[in-house]
Amino acid sequence: MGLISGSTSFTRYLAKDSLPEDFMKDLSEKITRHSFQGLDEQSVDERSFGWVNIMNMFDSRFAGLEFLKEPYITMSLRVDERKVPATALKQHCLEAEERIKRDENLEYLPKNRRLDIKEGVRMRLLRRAIPASRCYDMVWNYSTGLVIFGSTSNRICDEFVELFLKTFGIELLAICPYILAGRALEKQGTSLDLLDGLVPWDFEQER
Amino acid sequence: MHLLEKVRETEFLGREFLLWLWFRAETERGFFDVGEKERAEVWFDGKITLRSENEKGVETIICSGNTSNMREARFALTEEKKVVQATVKLAMGDNQWSFTLDSTWLNFTTFKSPRVVQDREEDPDGVFYEKIFLMEKAISAMDKIYASFIKLRLSPEWDNKEGPELAGWISLYCWDAPAPYL
Repeated sequence: MGLISGSTSFTRYLAKDSLPEDFMKDLSEKITRHSFQGLDEQSVDERSFGWVNIMNMFDSRFAGLEFLKEPYITMSLRVDERKVPATALKQHCLEAEERIKRDENLEYLPKNRRLDIKEGVRMRLLRRAIPASRCYDMVWNYSTGLVIFGSTSNRICDEFVELFLKTFGIELLAICPYILAGRALEKQGTSLDLLDGLVPWDFEQER
Repeated sequence: MHLLEKVRETEFLGREFLLWLWFRAETERGFFDVGEKERAEVWFDGKITLRSENEKGVETIICSGNTSNMREARFALTEEKKVVQATVKLAMGDNQWSFTLDSTWLNFTTFKSPRVVQDREEDPDGVFYEKIFLMEKAISAMDKIYASFIKLRLSPEWDNKEGPELAGWISLYCWDAPAPYL
């Protein structure tokens, strides 16, 4: 539970749209449709991601309402990835190339052939690679629209926003100084136009 | 104007906010009203990253240590470097938080909340609610401090008082500043 244990890093979002009245209806089904599915040992898929229980990364069934802690919806985005270590790939490629050269009585292998060998070796090794699992917690306060996501990596954040949209049909807006300033002005009843003409303060000139 | 364009054009707000926060903390004005009868104190602690971009390229310096001794960081300000990341301490009542803020997104990294009192084994939901309460409290306080910065930044007071004072504070570490400051 990254967000709720120890030190953490997170990105903030605002849910763009207001929630429809029947939002809670079919919520379990919506989440289950995009729940985490493990990588098949026989497949050569390199990556899999989806929702899991925030309290237990091995639970992706969402049989009950464990994701609902009013007024929050909480889940983790689990990402499993398997990779072939570069040194192992290089070594196995060299061995495969030597074997083919010996068997076919060749002195050199053309580049295209070597690329084919490399891809074949990579696929074979990929089946033997153990996936590394990572979990990124998400806490969505659906009464305020604030979403806290436990990562600051651009790639993971993009995947999260996309999965959130697919799951709930709601777009997320990443919070940044401009968005925050706009919200502050709205609360103060001031026009957002004030921000449009704003330029960086010239400290040099002041000094 | 497209939203992304606006976001890009106002990136400087995050840098100016971190600079202003540092200035307020160093000039003993790091106290802010963040709610009814609630005061928060903010100070920089540990690490500041400053960056400049010009035709020669990008220069970044990272200073760590006690803020009062962060002379290199203060000197870097006079060289037109901007604060792009800072480790911040936030205190409200008996609670204290620590985190690093970046200027581009105002994201929180290495965020540490006060210790929770609920027991994880006995009441996991209690731990969740307490932890999230503490996170939202810190986020809300920082958003309110940022809102007060925006209000000030857009007011005549910025041009007439706060801005010039901030510029004066930066100048204290200029090469040509009086000896006691160097």
